[in-house]
Amino acid sequence: MADSGDGQKRLPSQENLLLDYVRRLEKHKAGRKVVILHLSALRPFNRRDQHIRAAASNFDQLISDMTGQLFTLKNADIYFIFKSEALPEVETLVQKIKFLFDDDPLVAEEDKQTQSFASWYDADDDFPAILNLVQSVAQSEQERQTAVRARMDARAALKAKQQQGEPLTPEVLARVETALVRADLSNLVRRQFVCEVDSKLVPTQSFSKLFVSIQDLRETLQLGVNLVANRWLFQHLTETLDRRMLSMLTKTDGISISGEISFNINVATILSKEFQIFDDNIAASRRGQMIIELQKEDIFSNLSSFIFAREFVQDKGYRVCLDGMTLDTVTMIKRDRLGVDMTKLVWSPDLVDGGEEVHKLLKSMVKHEGEEKFILIRCDNREAIDFGKSVGINRFQGRFVENLIAEDGRRRGLLRLKRRIERN
Amino acid sequence: MADWGAAAGGAGDLNNTEESLLLDRLNRIELNSAGYFVVHMNLSGLRPNNKHSHFVEIAARTFDIIVDNNDATLFSMANKDLALLCRNLDVDDVDNAVEKVRALFSEDPLTELDDSGFEDNFSTWYDLSNPEDFAAFFAVVTDLAVEAEHRLAEEADRQDKEQQKGQPLEPENLSEINKKIQSMRVADMIKRQACLQVSPGGGGELVFFELFIGMTEIKERVAPDINLFASPWLFQYLTETLDRRLLAVLVEEDFDEVTEPLSINLNISTVLSREFQNLHRAVNGNMSKVVVEFQIIDIFADMKSYTYARDSLQERGYRVVVDGLNPLSLQYFEPADLKSDFIKISWGPEFTGDEEESRLAEIKEVVDKAGKETMILARVDSEKAVKWGLNIGISRFQGFFIDKLVQVIGCGRGTAKPKPAAAKAAGGA
Repeated sequence: MADSGDGQKRLPSQENLLLDYVRRLEKHKAGRKVVILHLSALRPFNRRDQHIRAAASNFDQLISDMTGQLFTLKNADIYFIFKSEALPEVETLVQKIKFLFDDDPLVAEEDKQTQSFASWYDADDDFPAILNLVQSVAQSEQERQTAVRARMDARAALKAKQQQGEPLTPEVLARVETALVRADLSNLVRRQFVCEVDSKLVPTQSFSKLFVSIQDLRETLQLGVNLVANRWLFQHLTETLDRRMLSMLTKTDGISISGEISFNINVATILSKEFQIFDDNIAASRRGQMIIELQKEDIFSNLSSFIFAREFVQDKGYRVCLDGMTLDTVTMIKRDRLGVDMTKLVWSPDLVDGGEEVHKLLKSMVKHEGEEKFILIRCDNREAIDFGKSVGINRFQGRFVENLIAEDGRRRGLLRLKRRIERN
Repeated sequence: MADWGAAAGGAGDLNNTEESLLLDRLNRIELNSAGYFVVHMNLSGLRPNNKHSHFVEIAARTFDIIVDNNDATLFSMANKDLALLCRNLDVDDVDNAVEKVRALFSEDPLTELDDSGFEDNFSTWYDLSNPEDFAAFFAVVTDLAVEAEHRLAEEADRQDKEQQKGQPLEPENLSEINKKIQSMRVADMIKRQACLQVSPGGGGELVFFELFIGMTEIKERVAPDINLFASPWLFQYLTETLDRRLLAVLVEEDFDEVTEPLSINLNISTVLSREFQNLHRAVNGNMSKVVVEFQIIDIFADMKSYTYARDSLQERGYRVVVDGLNPLSLQYFEPADLKSDFIKISWGPEFTGDEEESRLAEIKEVVDKAGKETMILARVDSEKAVKWGLNIGISRFQGFFIDKLVQVIGCGRGTAKPKPAAAKAAGGA
């Protein structure tokens, strides 16, 4: 078992591969040149993943005929190491790539910049400098990874404390839960829309997700604590939030919260009296417009309760959505067996980086189960939408979608204005 | 049935049980039974983990609409059975509701129909206008009424026990309990349990000893009147403290001298903490002697951290177990994708060993796919469980029954004397 997955274990980073390559280059450095494209110095909106991929693809031909080797680093810089005889060709390519970014200050105002667009090295003459550079790149990537991974280390904990307050303790949890029973949460409820997005990026609302903003909750209750610092205490808190959400939905049913809605809830809550009361008090027709979102850890903490609860709510007409799936878990968990009506997949650039195999897998999954069953969530940029569409997903949720809705609203407003002017 | 108290059935005074009320009704309609029929749903035959009161209460509510709008009454028996007494109702309407209840328990073998569709263990229909049916049902209810009396006595007994289990663990009392655990001596509460690889010939080979802090002892000392398992989340919070206490004992071990591999159940966050780094130093190169177990809910709550923790453990030479599964959960995901060294599934009362062939075949297939050589069947309390495991290809076992076996065959020499700190702790396991 242990070795079956070795191939997939933490892939070496491009930074490490580059370092490794340069070290081996030492013996063959004669007749080689290196060019570095400093794409990291571009403005953020010019160095999105698709830009970097477009730039790198220019070298495809040279790579396939073994003239050179390309490395794309985490910070977007591109390193290309090639045989000297290809210099004219590479110079042309670099010029071509530069044109791609000619509206960026890095290129447009080149004379004012301290950083040039590209740096050229001769592997033989400049070897120590290249090695030095590559070593420091690999090291800073190493440090970045350690910083990301050592979430539990003292420094990270301290930083989190300064930013988000003291970690939640049982005493404070008890206080928060007591306060919640009385607090009016209706102004803390946020909604985010799940939309179909067409090829012109015009969104059509499908349903909306209601949730309590934890950040606002913290501020409203004037807590100087980080509510999510401990997973288990937070999970307990969500059971209290569930009950408050249900009572809120009972009260405001049909008034302010219209249309199809979804909300997160724990399995234990579905089996509680509060849910019965909620269910008794909403119109039967409303159930068909409600989607209950569940988390996998909650489902697997008591599978037989989940199976019972899912059957119970589906029979009443509610739909059930499996929330928070990632690439790992979407293939691992037998969702058809769980009997959920839809799945929310969390957007991450990893999905793109997974390559052709991952794309094919997702595409066939979506095709097989039906595009109406999938929603790509936490879409915070256009790339998420493009990727989703490329694998057949048609519904999206996230900050980018909210922006599209706002933009669409503005556009419609302008259109109305224009028509009015024309009529007059 | 809108009243939750009534739905629970059970406790109440003897002449007022649902069973005796039903007998009264039957007596009254005996002479004029035209149009009456009964559906008896045998929920008492469900597996124990499907028989929770709140499941049955929800099931009972399925009949609310029928009862509210028709001449029909639902009786909730003390043994969890339901009986719906109807007069002049459309059989299809009633059947629809019964099928909904069947669907709620679709994972339970009780609700499976055999191929002929003739045998149905789940529900029985009686046409009360037919004297034979009437007599048969009357006899059934009489038996149930007698049984209910016994049950009432047992129930009272059980409630006493429930009281002993205590108040649920809540944020209010959690903090105090947590502090007590932080400051108490735990070395003498560490227990161990052998995981044994059983060979076809009957012999056994030790895989590892699992070390853990006995929860009964903890409860006795720090919270005799609290039910520590009332909330899975708050219990999980306590385990973070227990992890650190266990590690503090283990760093005192001389791992060069440890002869049998040992296994510890930890939170993923603990493995990423300084305390685990201290253990790693104490292990001093003997990583092959240490196995780390993670709970599936901890894994699913943060897959990224799990992947990182698993890789860093395996790269250093530790072995990793995924714990907290049972034969049911095995059918709902691909455990092999977690790329652990072992997968531990718990035997439970819900697996009687006489599963339907199709169900067994399915579990067998999952076990095959996940890798037989990675499976450990835990909480093995009987020979039946071992047979069940062997039958589906599992050869590693852990549990009370295995502990007895280890004593008999004297496997792992050190049965009576595990190594230094933990050995003293185990107190002659």
